[in-house]
Amino acid sequence: MPKRSYRSRSIRKIYIKTPGGKTVIHYERKKPKKAHCGSCGAILKGVPRERPYKLRKLAKTQRRPERPYGGVLCSKCARLLFIREARK
Amino acid sequence: MIEIGRLCLKIAGKESGKKCVIVDVIDDSYVMVDGDVKRKRCNIKHLEPLEGTIKIEKNASHDMVVKEFKKLAIEIKESKPKEKKEKPKKIRGKKEKVEVKEEKPKRKALLTVGAKKEKKETKAKTTENKKEKPDKPKEEKKVKKKIVKENKS
Ligand SMILES: [Zn+2]
Repeated sequence: MPKRSYRSRSIRKIYIKTPGGKTVIHYERKKPKKAHCGSCGAILKGVPRERPYKLRKLAKTQRRPERPYGGVLCSKCARLLFIREARK
Repeated sequence: MIEIGRLCLKIAGKESGKKCVIVDVIDDSYVMVDGDVKRKRCNIKHLEPLEGTIKIEKNASHDMVVKEFKKLAIEIKESKPKEKKEKPKKIRGKKEKVEVKEEKPKRKALLTVGAKKEKKETKAKTTENKKEKPDKPKEEKKVKKKIVKENKS
């Protein structure tokens, strides 16, 4: 029996093969849902699907696209927004 | 719409939302671009042509474009080249002499000198007391163990 707190369904198991040939179970929290566009709701590309503590280990350029509104709006919506702002 | 001197807006990439001008038309899908962006080749699909043109020659230099942009009151951020810092050179085989600083006695330590002596004295007393105490119960335990062993045998 694992530790009592690991018996929760909100925790996922990861089977890892050790160098010695054993398979051990690591317990981790589940991943959050994918990042979505703020205006149309499409799935954002280039945004990793990880918990914040793992995102913190990444470089800033690996966390979101390097464009204004990157990681917030999808590329289509951002394009429209730039054109609209220029037309004003 | 796509011609030399046409003002454009970049709508893709990290410089999206910034204004630029077409300096050269390379072929029917690519143009050379300069201005508030890095001077580089750019796809026409990544540009949104704006109203207004600038009178410049083909392959005009960056300084010329900057001058024209200033007339239109478009600010251009110039990135300064980094100054080179001199790194301390290491010579192989030769170990540099490290200056040893004379450590001043810390203020806390000075204050607690008297207190430490007292502590030592008290510690010594306690250890003496401890030494005396555990002698008796140990013997009892040994005796008990012996009795158990005898019973088992
Ligand atoms: Zn969108």
